[in-house]
Amino acid sequence: MRREIDFMGKSRIFITISLILIAISVVSIFTKGFNFGVEFTGGSEIVVRFENKSITEADIRKAISQISEELASSRIVQVRSAGDPANVLKYSIVVSKIYEPEEKQKIQEEIEHLLSGKVVSFNEISGTAAEEIKRGTWTAILVALVVLLIYITIRFRFIFGVAAIIALVHDVLITMGFFSIFGYEINVAAVAAFLTLLGYSLNDTIVLSDRIRENMKRYRGRNIVNIVNMSINQVLARTINTSLTTFLVVFVLLLFAGNAVKPFAFGMTVGTVVGTYSSLYVVSPIIVKWTK
Amino acid sequence: MRGDKVRLVVVLAVLIGALLALFWPSKGGWMSNIRLGLDIKGGARIEYLVEIEEGTENPTDVVDDVWTVLRNRLDAAGYTEASVKKVFRENKSYIVVEIPGATDTVQAEKLIGSTGVLYFAQVLDEYLGDDPTKVPELALEAKRENATWLRGRDGKWYLVKKEIMGRKDLVLEAPRIIYARPEVETRTGRYGYKVSFELAKEYVEKFKKITQALYVPEGTYDPKKRLAIVLDNVVQFAGQVVAIITDGKAEITGNFSLEEAKQLAAILRSGALPARLVKTSSGWVAPLLGRDVIDSSLKAGIIGIILVLAYMLVYYRAMGIVADLALIYNTILLLGVMAAGKFILTLPGIAGIILTIGTTVDGNVIIYERIKEEMRAGKPVRTSIAAGFDRSLSTILDANITTILTGLILYYFGTGTVKGFAITLIIGVLGSIFVNLVFSRLLLDALAPFLKTPKVVEEAQGGNKR
Repeated sequence: MRREIDFMGKSRIFITISLILIAISVVSIFTKGFNFGVEFTGGSEIVVRFENKSITEADIRKAISQISEELASSRIVQVRSAGDPANVLKYSIVVSKIYEPEEKQKIQEEIEHLLSGKVVSFNEISGTAAEEIKRGTWTAILVALVVLLIYITIRFRFIFGVAAIIALVHDVLITMGFFSIFGYEINVAAVAAFLTLLGYSLNDTIVLSDRIRENMKRYRGRNIVNIVNMSINQVLARTINTSLTTFLVVFVLLLFAGNAVKPFAFGMTVGTVVGTYSSLYVVSPIIVKWTK
Repeated sequence: MRGDKVRLVVVLAVLIGALLALFWPSKGGWMSNIRLGLDIKGGARIEYLVEIEEGTENPTDVVDDVWTVLRNRLDAAGYTEASVKKVFRENKSYIVVEIPGATDTVQAEKLIGSTGVLYFAQVLDEYLGDDPTKVPELALEAKRENATWLRGRDGKWYLVKKEIMGRKDLVLEAPRIIYARPEVETRTGRYGYKVSFELAKEYVEKFKKITQALYVPEGTYDPKKRLAIVLDNVVQFAGQVVAIITDGKAEITGNFSLEEAKQLAAILRSGALPARLVKTSSGWVAPLLGRDVIDSSLKAGIIGIILVLAYMLVYYRAMGIVADLALIYNTILLLGVMAAGKFILTLPGIAGIILTIGTTVDGNVIIYERIKEEMRAGKPVRTSIAAGFDRSLSTILDANITTILTGLILYYFGTGTVKGFAITLIIGVLGSIFVNLVFSRLLLDALAPFLKTPKVVEEAQGGNKR
């Protein structure tokens, strides 16, 4: 017989770990908050014009890094308007900070001095994503939770649905906590990572629930702790293989991808680990507690 | 086996379809058929000044309303990945619209440029030549009827009057429209699409009176009793009222093409802009992520995928080959559908693809673990494969259906980025179900004789003893 790992025996320890992690996350979210990207907070856009120059994004970043820290992490994009002569280069520098008129003046002078280009406009911009994501996304999440609860209740049992949703909330809270603690920027891609994580966590939970359901039918009358333990052990190889492969992709991305992709890769990496953990150690104790 | 033959045909047909969508017609460069988002490829950028009338009480509200109308119009016309930004400069408000890829900016500009008020009107006459206001008798006719000559989308000129049948109480301007959507025309003798819409409650009564006033029985024709929908001082549509509409739910039929119906629906749905927009500049914007980021991310992604392929190969040996091929097959399938559907790939979309890689691998792993279980129980290879698939079917379906449900809900409620993400997610998950249940099955059945090799059987039995 294969050796069985006793997951349920140690469930108290893991529930405690989860609760501690959630507590830390909630505290960090409320005290430290999030580092929202410019897509959420809005900010300033400085358009600089260069004539007869072969200047690159990297040159500009290097120069403006000397002015201030927030400018160092700005988003620099080349823009071109209809009618611009071919030898003119224009760059848009977007930073998630709104400046006072005197500050504007100073920054404009320093940029023009350091780069010998001309600042053609200094705009205040709105966050594009904030409104998009505010509109509808919360409704979507609530509706999704209700629909999932109904689906899982029909296919499995009500309690499996409740467990799946608790696991989802658990995963998202802890991942958001990590974002807050490490100060990673929350941008559109990070939001995508959260949404992906929801799908992933759910997938994991369903696979386990499925096996528990099957074993409950097959071994009617057997102790539920036993059945859950057996089920986790049976799907363990699958859980590890699936998590490990997803983890490989996103972890490599976290290590080697550029800064703008880091928040996404970070969210996915943390999410994969937390999502796997929760389906093993959060979902099962809930099911056991309620079916006992 | 007959089942396998059918599977083989389907698998090949789908693969060829996906490859065709990806590479044909090739405009140069591989992947050129995939539309890339602003973050990856950049796009067209148009800036508008929002002209707010002096003395407007809440100018910021007006700008917000403009933003909402534009966002709705772009979403409704399929530009979900476009970005709409409010910009303030020297106490003036601008709206900057960025549209991925620059191919159909003209159409997008047309859509954005619809700045006027939407209203219903009566058509009194029509004219096919050039500007009728320059034709004395036609100009006189307009004056006599107290009506205006307006151009129609169809190129004709229409003499329209806001006061339907001369009644002031029948003027219907800027009504709120609950929904407007294209629908397939099902009546005999007609083809293409129609647009159905519903007016908000407060306009139902007035609309009923209007339709009563203009009603002509079907089969008869009265050129002076036609209803026009006017936006931007352009007659969007003019037609006979063939039924008195008492509940505010109406249809516009005109044998439209899907594209026409979509656009008309988008215009009805999004209504009129609350302020005038003046184009102040247009041009393009480079990829928002920066080329270096894209290059390094692409490299990282490829390394990641190679690691996954290698891992599956090491862990599952022969079955790992099937898993790897399944992964590659599904990726081609996903990209093919993205190309065929003209969906736009962005970073959040790539998130969806990564989840897809996860679910494809997962489906395979679920199946293989089941097959191994069956083999451990001492069943022959072929039986084990069949049983493995049968028994993993419900797991795979449950796990994926929940994801698809989530995707559909996100698509329905979300805008912009969220919608884009939902699309990739849904396509990817559907693809992975197909790949797991059809493609993998085909390959595993083909591989069955080789799986009988003592090594694998031993490995399977070894698992039993461990």
